Amino acid sequence: MIDPGSVLTTDLVGLATTRHAYVLFVLLSTIGLYMLIANENLVKKVIGVNMFQTGIFLFFITSAYRVGGSAPIIEGAGPYVSPLPQVIVLTAIVVGISLTAVGLALSIRLYNEYGTLRADALREVIGDE
Amino acid sequence: MSDVLLALLVTVPLVAAIFPLLFGLRYENAGWPIALAGSLVVTGLAGTLAWEIFTASTETGQRLVHEMAGYPAPYGIELVGDGLSALIALLISVVSVAVLIYSRSTGPGSNAFYSGFLLLMGGLLGMTLTGDLFNLFVFLEIVGLITYALVASDDSGMAAYGALKYLFLGTVGASLYLIGVGYLLVRTGSLNMLDLQARLADIGYTEPLVQAAFGFILIGLMLKIAVFPLHTWQPDAYTYAPDTVSAYISALVSTTAAYALIRISFDVFTVDFFAANQLITDAVVLVASISIVVGSLLAAMQTEIKRVFAYSSVAQFGMIVVAIGLNSRTALLGAVIHLVGHGLMKATLFMGAGILSSAYGATTISDYAGLAKRSPITSGGIAVTGLALVGIPPSIGILGKWYIALGAVESGSWSVAIIIFISTLLTLTYVARIIETLYFNPPEATHEETAASESVEHVAVGDEAVADGGLETRVATERIVVVAVLAVSTVALFASVDLFTELLDPVFGRFFQ
Amino acid sequence: MIEPTIRPLAAVAVSFVAAAFILASGRRPNLREAWTVLASVSMFGIVASMVPGVLAGEVYVTNLGTVLPGVDFVLRADPLGVLFASLASLLWIVTSFYSIGYMRGLDEHNQTRYFASFAVSVASAVGIAFAGNLLTIFVFYEVLSVATYPLVAHDETPEARAAGRKYLAYTFFGGGVLVLAGTVLVYWLTSLAPGAESATVDFTPGGISALANADPTAASVAFIVLALGFGVKAGLMPFHQWLPSAMVAPTPVSGLLHAVAVVKSGVFGIARVVLDVFGPETLADLGPASFGDLGIALPVAIIASITLTVASIIALRKDHLKRRLAYSTISQLSYIVLGLALLEGDALIGGLLHIPAHAFMKLTLFLCAGIIHVETHTDNISEMAGIGRRMPLTMTAFGIAAAGMAGIPLVAGFVSKWYIVIGALDGGNAVFAGVLLVSGVLNIAYFWPIVYQAFFETPDDHDTKPLLEGPFGGRDAIRADGSGRTDDHGTVDIDASVDPDANHEGGVHHAHDDTDEHHDDHHGHHGGPPAGGWPKRNWRGGESTWFMLGPILTAAALSLLLGIIPHTIVFMRIVETIVGNLPGVVV
Repeated sequence: MIDPGSVLTTDLVGLATTRHAYVLFVLLSTIGLYMLIANENLVKKVIGVNMFQTGIFLFFITSAYRVGGSAPIIEGAGPYVSPLPQVIVLTAIVVGISLTAVGLALSIRLYNEYGTLRADALREVIGDE
Repeated sequence: MSDVLLALLVTVPLVAAIFPLLFGLRYENAGWPIALAGSLVVTGLAGTLAWEIFTASTETGQRLVHEMAGYPAPYGIELVGDGLSALIALLISVVSVAVLIYSRSTGPGSNAFYSGFLLLMGGLLGMTLTGDLFNLFVFLEIVGLITYALVASDDSGMAAYGALKYLFLGTVGASLYLIGVGYLLVRTGSLNMLDLQARLADIGYTEPLVQAAFGFILIGLMLKIAVFPLHTWQPDAYTYAPDTVSAYISALVSTTAAYALIRISFDVFTVDFFAANQLITDAVVLVASISIVVGSLLAAMQTEIKRVFAYSSVAQFGMIVVAIGLNSRTALLGAVIHLVGHGLMKATLFMGAGILSSAYGATTISDYAGLAKRSPITSGGIAVTGLALVGIPPSIGILGKWYIALGAVESGSWSVAIIIFISTLLTLTYVARIIETLYFNPPEATHEETAASESVEHVAVGDEAVADGGLETRVATERIVVVAVLAVSTVALFASVDLFTELLDPVFGRFFQ
Repeated sequence: MIEPTIRPLAAVAVSFVAAAFILASGRRPNLREAWTVLASVSMFGIVASMVPGVLAGEVYVTNLGTVLPGVDFVLRADPLGVLFASLASLLWIVTSFYSIGYMRGLDEHNQTRYFASFAVSVASAVGIAFAGNLLTIFVFYEVLSVATYPLVAHDETPEARAAGRKYLAYTFFGGGVLVLAGTVLVYWLTSLAPGAESATVDFTPGGISALANADPTAASVAFIVLALGFGVKAGLMPFHQWLPSAMVAPTPVSGLLHAVAVVKSGVFGIARVVLDVFGPETLADLGPASFGDLGIALPVAIIASITLTVASIIALRKDHLKRRLAYSTISQLSYIVLGLALLEGDALIGGLLHIPAHAFMKLTLFLCAGIIHVETHTDNISEMAGIGRRMPLTMTAFGIAAAGMAGIPLVAGFVSKWYIVIGALDGGNAVFAGVLLVSGVLNIAYFWPIVYQAFFETPDDHDTKPLLEGPFGGRDAIRADGSGRTDDHGTVDIDASVDPDANHEGGVHHAHDDTDEHHDDHHGHHGGPPAGGWPKRNWRGGESTWFMLGPILTAAALSLLLGIIPHTIVFMRIVETIVGNLPGVVV
């Protein structure tokens, strides 16, 4: 568990060494979000969404981790890492894949229709404000 | 027994979704009857649920619980049916039936569409009934995925564009929601709503992590609800989707997201959270107030009819979110009434617009000139529903507005009260334009039939007459009937306060202890 | 004594049902008109049947169930309600016949919509009259706005649509915003009252008791918001602009709705708020001490005084007859509001009695304007010199009503104004009495020339009208047709817009249009006397059809009767009952 407030008070070095997984989560998500907003290529936007979600999955997995914990299977010896986030992430990955599939399918349809994958070009064609 | 009802409500449409595709292999038109049968069953179930809660006298009777697969909460996932969720479930099932009847002749008629339709209904009901935050995310994404697909089911490129835009923003919204849920999980180790409520109360509401969790959930759901400035996906999606789909998603998808926000705000975070975090409360009220004003202004500026209605939703949901932020029992009652009322009204308006666009190709306001003479029933339905949306009594529109305004006055939020009162005029700016065009603008001469029918009229009696039925026969009768029935129901529900208070009192009793 | 009965509901419902029948029989004009007449007569019958009981102290109540906790949807025929309802239903009969003559005479389009909207409008006016609480009155107030919109925009010309938009914006600002806000405030205030079981917005003679002890600031705000909300329909300045614009409507609409039902529903709303929501005693206690005896009603009295003076002055400058009447209406309505705001027994009687008095007189005037329009297509006063030759009966009725407006004895206006002036003097508010007298002079100034020139001048030899012609402040030199200074539309040709005939060339004209008065309608010139001066018509109805003359003479006769024998024709007795029921008001 995180001690609330400690994230802000801990010095950056401490943050990078002990909480690097959370830093990575923030970085990945932000990069993904930036890609979604700033990149005009539809496929890259889809990749951005994926990256954004992957960052979040990482956050969940990290939160389940405990030092010396083993996989949460009944036969093994304890202590176990928390099983709940693992389940959540498994489900979320499935959802994410479906989203990617739908997103790519729509991109293909747009490409067939307008011959471009660029969002700015599409906006111009469609006349979206 | 009754707890099985909850499980059935979610599983019946999900399982039924298989059949249109399955039977579609053999029979070409299997989709519609299956979907209709499915939604009729669901309507029956939702009605039973509402009736049981309505007549129950004990506390356990008013809050039915089903533990999925027999795992007890907080470890297992539970489905919860109380007055609030029963009301939304009823709305979902009734609108589903109405939209299905409407879609019989107009489609999109493929079996895959009806599978999607049933899946969407199942997802919406799941969102409504679940008592688990992560389960809510899953249903949120099911709803999202199907909606993207249905929006794109019109084969145009524009529809695909609208759907993709919706997909990007919708996914971001759901993911933000997931982050918020993650924070709560990390802090408390629980995902069950009521369990979380107890744990959060122990932890206190001023911890940054808890505040951040609410912030992420709020923004994520606001994206789904389409509150200004997070609404940009919504007009495109509503406009480019097929008429049937626009009617369905405009009535239910944002509505269910708003329901989820109400549920999480008051069942997980509770009123104490709002009281402890005045800044967050103020921010919610401010953003939502802006949404009311800007949404209405944007709606008034549109020329395409579906866009007008889409931006109108931005404004109306602003009103609902304001009521959440007011943190008052009265205002929340208004929010729920308006949630249901807005769902019915928007479904009617989009279906009416669908009829006029398929009969006359009228998609912009100026195309509507003089159509009242040719489609008197549909135009009447649009006019009545539009006025109900403005908040003209007697209609359900004024009820919601009354309670939200009263709540604002009670809690001393004068600026909000003024905005809500002024919203009559704001809504009028776009509704009056449509009604005036329908009834008082001379039809454009470019339509050949128009000219013909006009001249016939003048020779005939010197005033209207002729039109009834005449040209409208090209539209299947049941579509007109659906619009008329829904329009009448928005008026009739003026007398429904007892139903709402009776169902919601126990729930609000918990919310506002 | 409170008696549960369906009679109040029946009075409202009969005309709603009639509207449905009218719509259904749109293809058979005679049957359609029969419904209108039948509904108006039976509505009046139902209302009249309650008058004796009400005078004897009965209150007839129909309760339709609860809408909000503590608030029922209830129709309640008390003296005040019966006053307005009997007036509206009586004049609906008069106007129905006139409408038939007018609409057929002009071969108007869309008559079915017209008659149906008319029926719904009257139904909601009676609903307003019988509403038992603020919420019910709000519902009917809004329905009335919706139902009259098609009547205002009836012509479907750009100007008519613009007027319709303006009308909607103003009335919904008054109703949906202000009245709703005021109702919510009252509901909230009464729910806070100590010992109150639930909130209430029910009308109670003398005021809701919970409001007397409520927070004074909030109660004052609630009163002002409600008074202004109803004031929009009552034409209080600065919310009066919709009324002159709405004159593009067909004349029967202007007559019934803009002299009787719509504007009076606004005034009636104020009466309810003053008498039955807050009560004169509570109002006198509210407001800062510097407001004196009138308390929070003082601002309303001041607004009313300003309105009645300024509107009279504007009326002087209008050449278009209906517009002059519109401003006269605005002015006269403020008499009523002023009478109510003075919070004194005699003034209240005067104010309430002016509701029927003004209705009879103004209806006469509007119907005269309408008949002149139908018969001669003349709308501007400057073209009416000598018209007494052509329309002797009409102009006589016009003269009687105009005299009443100015407060000449033996006509209805005198009685009501007398009481208001007495009330103002009794209450020690001589200023307001002075305002009333000045306005009386102005009334003569804008009505007398019309009557005088009709009988004693000829088209070739007459004074220029209107009396005041130069713009205020000496600017704004461009004037189209004498229709006014800043008249929103600059040079818009008003005649064209109120003259639907221009768009209906093929129309079958009425049998009486046998002269050459139509020959030049479509060449820019509208109305005015034909080349050789007005032809002379006899005094036996040769000037028009009895469909229109009958209603005019009826309305004029009613104004005379109310002036000569106010008690015998019941209205005065109803008014005295209303004021007598108020606790703490001395007559």
